[in-house]
Amino acid sequence: MLEYQNLFTRVQVRHAPDPGLPVDMGATGARYGKPFLLSLAGRIGDAQIGPIYFGWAGILSLLFGFIAIEIIGLNMWASVGWDPVQFVRQLPWLALEPPPPQFGLRIPPLEQGGWYLMAGFFLTVSILLWWVRTYQRARALGMGTHLPWAFASAIFLYLSFFFQPLLVGSWSEMVPFGVFPHLDWTSAFSIRYGNLYYNPFHALSIVFLYGSAVLFAMHGATILAVARMGGEREIEQITDRGTAAERSMLFWRWTMGFNATMESIHRWAWWFAVLTTFTGGIGILLTGTVVDNWYMWGQKHGLVATYPAQNMITPDQAEFLRGRYQGTSPDSFPSYLAPAAGAVPMMMDSTMATPDSAAADTSVIPATVPPDAPPPSDDANDALFSSPRMNR
Amino acid sequence: MSALSTRTWTVVALAATVGLTGCDLGKKEVVQVGYRGTSMEQTYDMSNVDTKFSQVAIPAVLPPAGVSPPGPLPWQNVQVLNDISVAEFNRTMIAMSTWVAGTGNCAYCHNLANMASDTLPSGEPIYTKIVARRMLQMTRHINSQYPEHVKNTGVTCYTCHVGKPLPNGLWFYASQNDYLRHYLDRDGARVISKSIEPSNNNRSSVKQTEWTYALMISQSKSLGVNCTYCHNTRAFSSWEQAPPQRVTAMHGIWMTRDVNTNFLASLQDVYPAVRLGPMGDAPKAQCITCHNGAYKPLYGAQMAKDYPAMWGRADWNGVPFPGIYGPVTTVDSMGAVTDSTAPVLSDTAPAGVRASPSVSVSPAAGTAARGGSQR
Repeated sequence: MLEYQNLFTRVQVRHAPDPGLPVDMGATGARYGKPFLLSLAGRIGDAQIGPIYFGWAGILSLLFGFIAIEIIGLNMWASVGWDPVQFVRQLPWLALEPPPPQFGLRIPPLEQGGWYLMAGFFLTVSILLWWVRTYQRARALGMGTHLPWAFASAIFLYLSFFFQPLLVGSWSEMVPFGVFPHLDWTSAFSIRYGNLYYNPFHALSIVFLYGSAVLFAMHGATILAVARMGGEREIEQITDRGTAAERSMLFWRWTMGFNATMESIHRWAWWFAVLTTFTGGIGILLTGTVVDNWYMWGQKHGLVATYPAQNMITPDQAEFLRGRYQGTSPDSFPSYLAPAAGAVPMMMDSTMATPDSAAADTSVIPATVPPDAPPPSDDANDALFSSPRMNR
Repeated sequence: MSALSTRTWTVVALAATVGLTGCDLGKKEVVQVGYRGTSMEQTYDMSNVDTKFSQVAIPAVLPPAGVSPPGPLPWQNVQVLNDISVAEFNRTMIAMSTWVAGTGNCAYCHNLANMASDTLPSGEPIYTKIVARRMLQMTRHINSQYPEHVKNTGVTCYTCHVGKPLPNGLWFYASQNDYLRHYLDRDGARVISKSIEPSNNNRSSVKQTEWTYALMISQSKSLGVNCTYCHNTRAFSSWEQAPPQRVTAMHGIWMTRDVNTNFLASLQDVYPAVRLGPMGDAPKAQCITCHNGAYKPLYGAQMAKDYPAMWGRADWNGVPFPGIYGPVTTVDSMGAVTDSTAPVLSDTAPAGVRASPSVSVSPAAGTAARGGSQR
């Protein structure tokens, strides 16, 4: 068994394809396909392909999933004018976007997010049906249901991106379908809510995510390292400790004074994986509903390190510079109509219209300067703010 | 065994070399711009910066204008540059042809049979001349009203045009560049709340945040800088933690909005259809129009100081505006002339400009008075 030390599987068991357990066809449904052996598959897993079980949940899940992918793909294709070359070239940047903000939770027209809601519905149904399928298969094989519940944790995170917009009251919060667009959404979501890094549940999720990777590496490496002693037969080693189990446990006890067991390491991995998405989902649900600015939340609770300011500006100046909120975006774009000829006064001499756009910028800001704010100072930085526009 | 491991190590070393350097081979320079340990730093790809810097060609400064002939100004239809000497006027015209249309290409803007005319011999208006006149007003407006943004470098035609009739980065209304409307008719880019708890003061959605995000990325690309050039990214909205460049940028945004609203968009009726956008709007400017990917346009080359016609200020770095009687050195030799220049300058002293926003900063006394009465 020396070959098992290698990082890649170098031995393949060739055998007549195994039909699997004889199960009650009526209760669990038929399996389809004549099984065969595939050498390439054998390099990374079991060489046998098939038979496969479909079942009503599986069939419907694939169907709904196909519909969702179709809606997304055709909308993306339509967005480049049905040009197949541009569709391939720009695919990473194409998106099916959620409805714009002005629709709130109302049903928008198809081309303004209606397709998005439909795609989201079909995708969600597809995922839930796939969960049913994993649950059914686990029960049919007499297994525990650890796998469906771990999957459920991931689905909880997925659904959080649906429930959070419901709680906030706008479809527009939802994640666009698309490669880069959904990554841009991630940035935008964090920026909108004042930096998600100060969200403690985001932090927990990262801990469990990175922890999962570390545990995965530790466990995989340990088992591969004791494979020459039969360590890959983990389940047998749980009940009947062999030298592989003893040595792998000793390794960690000598290295860090504590070790998991052949059995408990799998609990570690399961909980880390499940908690990654579970804590992440909680973090999403709290964002915009309970906390609107995580950075300020972090300041209040001592998470934010202080270091010298880079701009010596007074609260008044900061207030002025902050500008105004975006407000409601235009109902539909393009909404601009070029003024009729002559409607825009042409100024042929050097008189100018008052540049009042900057002044308008300040008109809606509620004054929330703390009462104990120091008066504007006369330091050198005032030179930065000495524009006539600042004096209004 | 040893052969195998040698080969393995060679492959690993090669893979590591390619993997580590394959992303970007150029030499990087990282400049710390904030408090230590906070990753407030700018990363410059030096080979890229060197290439772009070498591509910036600054036209040679024309020799100073000589003495102008005595007597009243001979102009018939000069509406903006009527406050400089005849010699300085001609010098400016030649410089402008180099900056925009090609040296000596007077016909780009003028009816060569009658330089004063705004129409061709056929009677057709010369739109380029009318646009150029407005652009001169705009240049003076920028240099006089936005010292917080253009500092003492200032702008000339060349800052944006760089020798071409059409500057880079002109934009028209289109759904793809909706975010650019922040530089014209859509106010408000702020999306981050000022309180911990949600409230109805801020109903900005993630989608609107992406609009702001697109705007910011376009600024970052226009200047060739990272986010940290203007922001502390742990708190994008904080002005206290932001580098001072953010204040400069804010004045730049106001400036662009002013310029687009009052100078560029209003030229819509002047342009022929070929110069207009799909929705009939005039070309407009954005950050990249002047910056061209550099944190300072033309990497900070100072051109305005040599061309008083562009100033719109009473003085430039302490050098007074020469006025219609030519450079100060020339004026000094004729004592009487110096006296007649003085009142013009004292009317528009810098202190007065700062204190009263309604006063135009144009050094031309007559122009300033007209501008003031219109407001």
